Amino acid sequence: MNVGKVGQGRGIVVIPAYNEEETIAEVVRGLAAEGLGVDILVVNDGSSDGTGRILKGLPDAITVTHPINLGYGAAVQTGMLYAVREGYDVLALMDADGQHVPSQVRLLFDELGKGWDMVIGSRFAGDADVYRVPFFRRTGIRFFSFLAHLLGGIEVRDVTSGFQAMRRNVFEFLSMEYPTHSPDAEVIVMLGRKRFRVTEVPTSVRERQGGTSMYSNVGAAIYYPFKSILSSIIVLLRLLREK
Amino acid sequence: MSLQAKLMISVLLLGNAILVVELLRRKRLAESYTLLWLFVTVLTLVATWSDRLLALLAAFFGAMAPVSALTLLSLAFILGMLIFFSMKVSRLDAQVKRLAQELALRSASSPGSLGTPPPR
Repeated sequence: MNVGKVGQGRGIVVIPAYNEEETIAEVVRGLAAEGLGVDILVVNDGSSDGTGRILKGLPDAITVTHPINLGYGAAVQTGMLYAVREGYDVLALMDADGQHVPSQVRLLFDELGKGWDMVIGSRFAGDADVYRVPFFRRTGIRFFSFLAHLLGGIEVRDVTSGFQAMRRNVFEFLSMEYPTHSPDAEVIVMLGRKRFRVTEVPTSVRERQGGTSMYSNVGAAIYYPFKSILSSIIVLLRLLREK
Repeated sequence: MSLQAKLMISVLLLGNAILVVELLRRKRLAESYTLLWLFVTVLTLVATWSDRLLALLAAFFGAMAPVSALTLLSLAFILGMLIFFSMKVSRLDAQVKRLAQELALRSASSPGSLGTPPPR
């Protein structure tokens, strides 16, 4: 078990993985090589390829395996539940497809140390070094960032980023109810309405190193924007009703 | 409503009643749903054969013909059932997700260990 080199107490990096046999080993090894002093948890979301087999050969990672594929949000939630039960203080989220640079996890934890509840690694903040995001996706991200700002009051330019770090108060809150699919704008709205302090830092994002994006599925690409708009509004209505 | 229409509706309803009882016998349907379907079948049968009740319903809904009131009621029932089953499926979905997560968390591996793979 690693303890506290990130300066915020016990830390864990959660990596949700679904059919990421091409990249998962490199991502875990890259992260372990950083010597951050945090634990690495890979949530294998019922992969049907060789991801599970590869994970067994990775001594640096704790593995939690869903018996069936539950979706990205559910995998993140499982990671948060693990972190809550095992008493971690800070948690970072990172994609398994190799898009995020392991060395930049430290950036997120450092920013968290300045008093934020959550830090998002952003492709559009400052002089972030990113691959060219396709026009439609970029427009969609801008729209959802605007929506999150409008409904949640938090100004974040990259609400769809899966590269995040958060304190225990945030992942404890999110572990109770986390969207199963496309947990982006609605999560920011939830955090904003609950008065959590959220910021973003510029981080590099590479093109995915393997596997397929969920947006390559036409059905999911059409479903996603409508679902996100509806979910964000419902989150707002629920929270207003709670008051 | 003509006698022929009443007989046709009755035959359909009785066929439906036999089907749900048979599904219950084969353990393909729960008692609660069987009772619900039988209850609706009896209600529809009563409405079909009671001209006075059907006329009252038609007047209440502002329907031109009594049979339209029966159609409207059936449609409302089907919509209600669809919403009910959507709710039921949503709840089951959430329960399955939670169960799978708990199962996964219980078999978490430590770094360097192989862990206990969950049953497939």
